[in-house]
Amino acid sequence: MKDLANNTLLNIEGLTLDFLTNRGRVKALRDIAFPVRKGRILGIVGESGSGKSTVLWSILGLLAGNAQVTAGRVDYGDKNLLTLNAEGLRALRGEEISVVFQDPMTSQIPVLPYAQQMSDILYRRSMSEADKRKAAVDMLRRVGIPDPESRVDAYPHEFSGGMRQRAGIAMSMLTGPNLLLADEPTTALDVTMEAQMIDLMRGLRDDFETTIVVVSHNLGLIAEMCDDVVVMYAGEVVETGEVHDIFHNARHPYTRALLECDPARITDVSRKLPVIPGDIPDLTASLSGCIFASRCQKALPACSTTAPPLVERGTGIARCHLLEGPLADPSWPPPAEVSTVMRDTGKTLEASVKDAKPLLEVRDLNVQFRTMGAMKSRLRGVERPFVDAVLDVSLDIRPSETLALVGESGSGKTTLGRTILNLQDAAGGSVRFEGNDIRNMSERRFKPLRRDLAMMFQDPVGSLSPRKSVRALITEPLLIHGAEGRNLDFEAERLADMVRLPRGFLSRYPHELSGGQARRVGVARALALNPRLIVADEPTAGLDVSVQGEILNLMADLQEEHGLSYLIITHNLPVVRHIADRIAIMYLGRIVEEGPAAEVFARPAHPYTRALVEGVPQPDPDRRRQNTGTIKGEVPSLLRRPKGCDFATRCPLARDACREAKPEHRQIAPDHRHACLFPLRYADQQIT
Amino acid sequence: MTIYLFKRFGLAAVVVMAVLLLLFSMLHMIPGNPAILALGTRATPEAIAEYSARMHLDEPVLKQFVYFLGSAVQGDLGEDVFSNRPVTAIIAERMGFSLALICTGMGWAVLLGVPLGCLAAVRPGSWLDRITGVFSVGTIAVPSFLVSIWALLLFSIQLRWLPAIGAGEPGNFADQLSHLVLPAFAIGLGWVGYLARMVRASMLEVMGEPYIRSARAFGLKPRRIVLGYALRVAILPTITLIGMGFGGLISSAVFAEIIFARPGIGKMIFDAVSDRNFPIVQGGVLVATGFYILVVLISDLLIAWLDPRVRSSL
Repeated sequence: MKDLANNTLLNIEGLTLDFLTNRGRVKALRDIAFPVRKGRILGIVGESGSGKSTVLWSILGLLAGNAQVTAGRVDYGDKNLLTLNAEGLRALRGEEISVVFQDPMTSQIPVLPYAQQMSDILYRRSMSEADKRKAAVDMLRRVGIPDPESRVDAYPHEFSGGMRQRAGIAMSMLTGPNLLLADEPTTALDVTMEAQMIDLMRGLRDDFETTIVVVSHNLGLIAEMCDDVVVMYAGEVVETGEVHDIFHNARHPYTRALLECDPARITDVSRKLPVIPGDIPDLTASLSGCIFASRCQKALPACSTTAPPLVERGTGIARCHLLEGPLADPSWPPPAEVSTVMRDTGKTLEASVKDAKPLLEVRDLNVQFRTMGAMKSRLRGVERPFVDAVLDVSLDIRPSETLALVGESGSGKTTLGRTILNLQDAAGGSVRFEGNDIRNMSERRFKPLRRDLAMMFQDPVGSLSPRKSVRALITEPLLIHGAEGRNLDFEAERLADMVRLPRGFLSRYPHELSGGQARRVGVARALALNPRLIVADEPTAGLDVSVQGEILNLMADLQEEHGLSYLIITHNLPVVRHIADRIAIMYLGRIVEEGPAAEVFARPAHPYTRALVEGVPQPDPDRRRQNTGTIKGEVPSLLRRPKGCDFATRCPLARDACREAKPEHRQIAPDHRHACLFPLRYADQQIT
Repeated sequence: MTIYLFKRFGLAAVVVMAVLLLLFSMLHMIPGNPAILALGTRATPEAIAEYSARMHLDEPVLKQFVYFLGSAVQGDLGEDVFSNRPVTAIIAERMGFSLALICTGMGWAVLLGVPLGCLAAVRPGSWLDRITGVFSVGTIAVPSFLVSIWALLLFSIQLRWLPAIGAGEPGNFADQLSHLVLPAFAIGLGWVGYLARMVRASMLEVMGEPYIRSARAFGLKPRRIVLGYALRVAILPTITLIGMGFGGLISSAVFAEIIFARPGIGKMIFDAVSDRNFPIVQGGVLVATGFYILVVLISDLLIAWLDPRVRSSL
């Protein structure tokens, strides 16, 4: 704020922007101001609707057509980027200011090879095609693409997700830009890849002295990667500061609440997660006072009428009445240990389910996918024209128990869930529900069982028909299974109450729902037939940190009330730690470790489990990992399943024996087993 | 890839067989004895019996079909009932006229329709976009035979700019070209509008894709983004449409050939059906079906060549 002159690369001042929509003017950004300091990594953190990506796009002049900048300036050197003409902006883009995109699957053109895409970026340079190609190969090598001389001719679909994002970073660094903008650079990637990307980007900053602005909702990523942080809420900057100040000395109630909601920060494993109740305010309405007042636990009556003061402090600013002025509260901010968010104090479930007879028993289940047609495989002499998506999986789920199935993309976890629900045929093994084998049952015979086995789908909005009202959606399962003269209106209200969805929402349509509300509708649909077991595929995917706690608490409450069992399929370890009784870790279609949640977290036996547990970036800059590369590379393709232990190709502890034969499952405690020849041992463990 | 081609050709053979079988059964349901038609009403019963035996007309339809297929495989499609010339020779003579008409018709439609759709999509809501929209609907709505008649009336009869009938002096390229203009205009006009609409719609979709935003964020020139990136993806569904469009053009060409009295395959089949000249009908339909299947195969291969994702899945 003070020494703007020399060490500021980019300065945003009073940026105010509206979106003209058919609902009216959405005041998407209001008076955004912060400097970007040269050579540093600045993180913009906020939940969906905070406007963090809009800030990024306004720097580049690539806003949507209905955006209208009404005030402010974005100064880069002696230029104001908001008033610069199209040619001037285009001269900067790609050369001085470059971007790493959120989803490498959709942000790279599928029909051009990387060599072409990268030489296109260098079109302004008077270099020969051969030199451009060489520059592309060098940059691909720098970002860790193996064998870049030949891979430069590959097309995006020939790369895995992590490789694509590496190539995306290579493209953006190709011209040696001064400023690199990264929009949720790891959101589409697995945990083990995320750590590698953070490493890579920090390394590039050091090598090329590039200033980086990274936008993310992921507090762990921000803490691990950034030097400076800007916290945004509903189109305003509520707090700025250096990363230590934000994570250890946050002064704005929103920053405090956001940090406390992150499950990775919550060390005590209670089944209730903290939440920030309420929703982001409607930005088409006229706004007065503090934007966070409606959801703030510390709000005073004046907060919603008077604009909060802008308080300068050590390394940044904060906008809050509690800090300065007539409403100042000398006891604010409280020490870090004191919680400032809503916390249900529901009683935790007794661990009494251990000895009950399993509700669902899966034994040696195998699922195979064909890789080529019958004729092709015969002509080519391929003996096994299929891959094992699920390989010899055995699992139990007991009544009222939550089992979390954790794995990276491609681990087969979703396939396993679908097979249990008879949505996918299995090649071998058995699935028993209450003792009856239900594997590969005809849909006609399985239909009565669909009442007992329900599914919560991954995409909360996409899995709801856009043409049906919430009332129709949540009573649909009843109609399919014969409503038998039930009063559907009554049932709809009963279900809405169960999932704490206001009854007024029953007449709404899916596009009118927020992510959390749509997820509640999904829960209601799953509950409609009073199931015994719910398979929930990524129940918190796409939800904000402040909302995901609500859904998980709701699921826990419903379990208590109705004795439900859950199979939760997820890649998100911090979340399952709070909700799961037991955890099963999957890798390439096999269970590599299974045990009680607390035990698996505290003393993982399999190196892969440990890599996953340690792979989650901690939302605490003091706990930055020096060397994040405990495991390297990516999940291999199912087509190239290693001969020995599936994980041997990436395992830092692999020995020759690991590459010879598949390790058998071994029991290390009555409820804890793993598939590793050389499991990790701990000092306080009895060796059996 | 070879397996893919193998499959496609197998499928093509099945389609050709099915079409021919259907045609065979239908021709034999039409009243009238082909032998009498061929020999005239005053032919003696012995002559008719002799002719029927030679042409296998006295055997079951299925058997006739097998005979036909057997000789078709050897490149023999039978003889013209009236002139006794080989059908293959007659088709070869006329094929060129039809091919020239269909390819010119589609050619000018592509050359005009694709850029129109592209420009309309780059500036949605502009005057060019609006005019293209109205023009598209208008030209799609008017059937090609009406366009043929109007064009004939206006340009040949009223203005006398272009010749009305025939395909032009053999060997005189300029004359043949001037005879091609009106029928090609007539059958291609609807396709200009159709292609413009298709290209516009898929361009608008592609222009909203994240990878187009990436290209803009890297500062590429707008021209390069539209032609090198967006059109390259947006053209793919249009290629399929063009391939299938050749099927429609074969039938549009029949009308155009009748109206402009062009000696093409369409007119040949039409005349042969009225004359019960079955060998010509069979040969003509076989060639038309084969042509259509070939064009669709070419368009699919073209897409595979342009789209690496399709290529790697073949």
